Amino acid sequence: MSKRWYIAIAVLAVIAGGLALAVWEPAIPAADEASRQDFSPGQVERGKVLAGIGNCGTCHTVSPDKPFAGGVEFPSPFGSLYSTNISPHPQDGIGRWPREAFVRAMREGVSREGSHLYPAFPFTHFKNITDEDLDALYAYFMTREPVAYTPPQNDLSFPFNLRFLQWGWKLLFFDPDPWQPDPERGEQWNRGAYLAKGLGHCSACHTPRNFMQAEKKDRAYAGALVDNWYATALDESQPVPVHWDRESLYEYLREGTSRFQGVAVGSMGEVVHRGLRLAPDSDIRALATYTESLSGGRNNGNSRQIAAETITAAQQRARSEYSPGEELYVAACAACHYNDPQDPLAVRAELSLNSAVTADDPTNLLRVVMEGVGTGAGTPTLVMPGFSTLSDENLVALADFLRERSNLPPWKNLRKRIGELRELHRQSQPSATGKAGEQP
Amino acid sequence: MLKYLTGKSSGGAHADELASPGRRGFIVGMAGAVLTLAFARSPLSLANPDKTVAEGAFDPTVWYWIEPDGRVVVNIAKAEMGQHIGTALARIVADELEADWEQVELRYVDSDPKWGYMVTGGSWSVWKSFDPLSRAGAAGRKVLIEEGAKKLGVKPEQCRARAGRIIAGNQSISYADLVRGGGISRSFTDEELKQMPIKPPAERRIIGGQTRALDIPGKVDGSTLYGLDAKVDGMVYGRPIIPPTRYGSSVSSIDDSAAREIPGYRQTVTLEDPSGTVPGWAMVIADSFHAANQAVKRITVNWSPGKTTGVDEQAVLDHGRKLIGTADQGVLALDAGEVDKAFNDAAEVLESEYVTHGVLHFQLEPVNAVALEKDGTWEIHTGNQWQSLIIPVLSRALQVPKEKIVMRTYLLGGGFGRRLNGDYSVPAALAAKAVGRPVKMVLTREDDALFDSIRSPSVQKIRMAFDGDGKITAMEHHATAGWPTQVMAPDFMADGINGKYDPFAIQGALHWYTMNGHRVRAISNDLANDTFRPGWLRSVGSGWVNWALESAIDEAAHKAGEDPIEFRLRRLKAIGRNAGSAPNAVGGAARQANVVRRVRELSGWGAELPADTALGVATSYGQERNMPTWTACVARVRVDRETGRATVEKLSLVTDAGTIVHPDGARAQVEGAALWGMSMALHEGTVLHNGNVADTNLNTYTPLRMRDVPEIEMEFVDSTETAVGLGEPATTVVGPAIGNAIFAAVGVRMRELPIRPHALLAELQRDSKANREA
Amino acid sequence: MTTEFKINARPVRVDVPEDTPLLWVIRDDLGYTGTKFGCGIGLCGACTVHVNGRATRSCITPVKDVANSVVTTIEGLAENGHPLLETWVEAQTPQCGYCQPGQIMQAAAMLRDFPNPTDEQINQVMSGNFCRCMAYVRIREAIRMAAQRMQAGSGRPQEADHA
Ligand code: FES
Ligand code: FES
Repeated sequence: MSKRWYIAIAVLAVIAGGLALAVWEPAIPAADEASRQDFSPGQVERGKVLAGIGNCGTCHTVSPDKPFAGGVEFPSPFGSLYSTNISPHPQDGIGRWPREAFVRAMREGVSREGSHLYPAFPFTHFKNITDEDLDALYAYFMTREPVAYTPPQNDLSFPFNLRFLQWGWKLLFFDPDPWQPDPERGEQWNRGAYLAKGLGHCSACHTPRNFMQAEKKDRAYAGALVDNWYATALDESQPVPVHWDRESLYEYLREGTSRFQGVAVGSMGEVVHRGLRLAPDSDIRALATYTESLSGGRNNGNSRQIAAETITAAQQRARSEYSPGEELYVAACAACHYNDPQDPLAVRAELSLNSAVTADDPTNLLRVVMEGVGTGAGTPTLVMPGFSTLSDENLVALADFLRERSNLPPWKNLRKRIGELRELHRQSQPSATGKAGEQP
Repeated sequence: MLKYLTGKSSGGAHADELASPGRRGFIVGMAGAVLTLAFARSPLSLANPDKTVAEGAFDPTVWYWIEPDGRVVVNIAKAEMGQHIGTALARIVADELEADWEQVELRYVDSDPKWGYMVTGGSWSVWKSFDPLSRAGAAGRKVLIEEGAKKLGVKPEQCRARAGRIIAGNQSISYADLVRGGGISRSFTDEELKQMPIKPPAERRIIGGQTRALDIPGKVDGSTLYGLDAKVDGMVYGRPIIPPTRYGSSVSSIDDSAAREIPGYRQTVTLEDPSGTVPGWAMVIADSFHAANQAVKRITVNWSPGKTTGVDEQAVLDHGRKLIGTADQGVLALDAGEVDKAFNDAAEVLESEYVTHGVLHFQLEPVNAVALEKDGTWEIHTGNQWQSLIIPVLSRALQVPKEKIVMRTYLLGGGFGRRLNGDYSVPAALAAKAVGRPVKMVLTREDDALFDSIRSPSVQKIRMAFDGDGKITAMEHHATAGWPTQVMAPDFMADGINGKYDPFAIQGALHWYTMNGHRVRAISNDLANDTFRPGWLRSVGSGWVNWALESAIDEAAHKAGEDPIEFRLRRLKAIGRNAGSAPNAVGGAARQANVVRRVRELSGWGAELPADTALGVATSYGQERNMPTWTACVARVRVDRETGRATVEKLSLVTDAGTIVHPDGARAQVEGAALWGMSMALHEGTVLHNGNVADTNLNTYTPLRMRDVPEIEMEFVDSTETAVGLGEPATTVVGPAIGNAIFAAVGVRMRELPIRPHALLAELQRDSKANREA
Repeated sequence: MTTEFKINARPVRVDVPEDTPLLWVIRDDLGYTGTKFGCGIGLCGACTVHVNGRATRSCITPVKDVANSVVTTIEGLAENGHPLLETWVEAQTPQCGYCQPGQIMQAAAMLRDFPNPTDEQINQVMSGNFCRCMAYVRIREAIRMAAQRMQAGSGRPQEADHA
């Protein structure tokens, strides 16, 4: 998922350049097109659910009429990567990949032809998937509609375009041994851990990476910025005043909203509403059980009370000031986000409890404020307008106020970040939007 | 305005048109099966009312008619902008007509010379219409009684009219039946109408009672049409690109190449404006407003700008100070008593400067207009307050005779004086002319603010002379600001002692306090007039003039060591020029004293209050000495010494506006006006920056919202005196009451509006430093 | 670019650029002019409509963001009847009236979340809706009256605009 591993590659270029010839993996011969009949309907069905949990569609689908045909751009300062076509098209896709090649790609990050895949593809997690689940996934992909579509060529500059350098990266950071269940833990926890560490690859987003863009093992789930969304910390450093517990995690992963922590939008919205949609309740509960354990059980069952105290204190702090940020909050936000401290509602995401405000990274708040949330982007019933019409100064004032309201220090470099996100937003829009008070 | 029109000075052009319709004939007749009561335009139509009515020739000045089903339809030639004016006017008619209120309907009319001079402002509507509408209603009642008597076979003296029926003993007949019966024909001469008896106040049944406003249901279910909702076949949208200066800009080039790929974008035209209303405007034309907005972002216009590009607030205020300091500037509106002598002999002189900053109208509906030409006639679909002022301008802009222009009436999403200035209709018309098809011009909020006729920033100096006993002997009031009337309606300038002045820019200063000497000098700030187009904004000059006046009176009271209310009461004596006169100002200063006394009671003046909390008082006669609305306000304010924030906890208001026609509407007007006053005192206000207002939308312009609304308590003096205006006076007393309360609470005197927390904080700090050093 | 949604219980398909603000689609393309334009930057509430039953400022909501949703305007609320429309008349709330459809839509949404709102709650939620005529006292009063009526059970509005 990460797009900032290029620096790592640059370093490796020096170390591993000379080893170029030694690191090729053998190609696996192409098979005849896998036919539908080889797979049982149950297997395909199961594969569908698993593909959801793995969130495969999000990275490999650029438009709904080309499912799994790849082409999603991962831009970077060094050029762009494009996801591959994983529909069973014989030429453009993986239609002629034998099971063996599929398994090797998933577990070792090597294509059928033998070249190393960039770790934007999370084989570092997929290695933990059981044979049975891989079979189901294989069955599922092989029975999709083949889509004739060649994604754009990766457009990376030298030396980032040298795939074999991945070999060195793997040598340093990739432990091919699969994860083993923990006999000390219960079945539900182990199931959750298997899903999270394997197909779900949760830590790919929620764990910060080192300078070579490998997950920092010692800071697992400490939160990270990915795809210009901030994947919040889930370990004991989680920034939410009301800590996640099994129930809130379940609610969140199932519905996309949790009463005391917030609403899933952006990448996480996709995970919940597209990815986990078909996953059985038992799996969602397992994921919740495992995720809860990441914080060492910080929530001690008094969510309601902590929420009430936090909200009351925030409202109290807000009351004593009339800053430009507060005025904006009253005009723009409070109508939908004000809560009764005793009874905050999930659909009225309470900003003093929400990690969009309480995290160290302002990205989520800024993006949601500027871009809004459409029916397609988050909880399907929930729509929030986008306030990109506010000036940079307004947004800074608003963000400062919200931090102050939560008794937190202001975020630094807000203006710069706003500028970057505006640019990002502008690029994703067919036409530009102006700012408030813009004079022709 | 009537005062200036019928008075000595007005440019005669409008005087006839504005003259009371009562001078003309009044006819009653049938057109089809509809009973119509009309003021006839010419004596000719009086000669043969049946024919006149049948030919529709009476139509020019119809006030109301009765349908065969009994509905009474009242024509409203006033702009409805929240004051429920139609309801108030219809109540006047219906009361004398003894109509069934349930059957009364309103019809807002288009501009037409037949309505006479069309303006809605100055809180005049009820005041000016009361008498003619009452007599029109009474005339109808008389005819219906006579007709009813005939039908019931009794004498008219045996009949009375009630709730749409003529009643005699235990028989009765409805107006509907009378109308359906046909054949009603009757005319009144001018003299007869003048003599037309109207009911004594005690017999009023509709005026002053509780009634719902007729315009409200449509405003609740979304069906009411405002200017923005106007739609005509074949129209395209126009969004202006506003030049860098209000005046003197001209377009040098337009590059729209980047806009051409926007679907729905058509073209950008440079407006040629012979009337000089919108110099340097370009108009983007597109199939949708969204397309126009998208295009505007991609169009580059180069202007050669006017000379005010660099003007900022400070320059305008400094210029005002300079003018005040120059003795021969401005016009004396009043010079009573021995002012110079009083100052020469003074034991002490108190002198203070007061400043107010610009205020945006920010009527919630940004200005807009649909313009089109149909068969040689130009139609302007919009909401407007002063049709008679803008139609001649449109005539110059379009180069067509006035008679070829009609304004179609829509409700106003807020007026507050913004739409007295109908300048926004000009660019719409010019654009429609340029592209040869109907144009719906919509301004964004930012455009609206940039193009607003703001309430001018002002500088005032008040000097007061005290004798050896600490009594005020004279007051000088020098006020300078942009002058809306000078810029937009010079015919309405008033005669002062040494020249003409804008009465609206100084109204409120001609107070009813008895002093030996009183001099008022009004000065036009020409730099303001050149930089922006000063506007009439709710209560106009009184908004800043009374801030200075009532703050100064308070300063004087404190200086004299007297209770601020007692101090005022002692000077509100109905003697000499303050004795008052019939019919409008009966009672004079005594009535102002009365509202001050009553607000003292209502507010619990003198009670113990928590620390840093106090009451402040202010009073006003409103705008015009000839139409005084006696108003008094007490504000309870708490000051936070940490933040400098002043919180208004309660406003108490007492109003004497004579007869109250629509009491619930009156309360609403006072509520709204008072909160406007509070908003302008504490929450809003903008400054000029590079020749334009610095604040153009709610992201930086922050008028009062619900969370700031204080407790409001109000009272109206029960009165049957002449009904005067209500829409504005309360705005003028709240600001000074707050300033005076702040002084009472924490001992610092704020002399600048709006009162910003940081400014109040700075004063508090200076004050405590001074105290420490003392 | 076509977008489909339901407005006032009518399914519609509009063919406009996807970034067109919902406000202009509602007003100019679909003809529901009860929804008003005040500030265009989401700070006045004049353009408030319901999307899936929740108050939304349509001036800054691109039409693509309401795809497949249920939109209700003041006309729709009026069609279904709502206690607020009665109390708004009883309290004689509107002055110029221009902000009022937005106020009512916001209030209707609020009463779902706060069926028995305190003054504080009314102030906090409704301060986002600006009224230039400053008819605030009566807006508050009309909301209180409607809440009481709805609590008493005599005026439950139909939940017609839930998705
Ligand atoms: S017009 Fe949408 S919030 Fe003001
Ligand atoms: S009633 Fe006029 S803006 Fe609210």
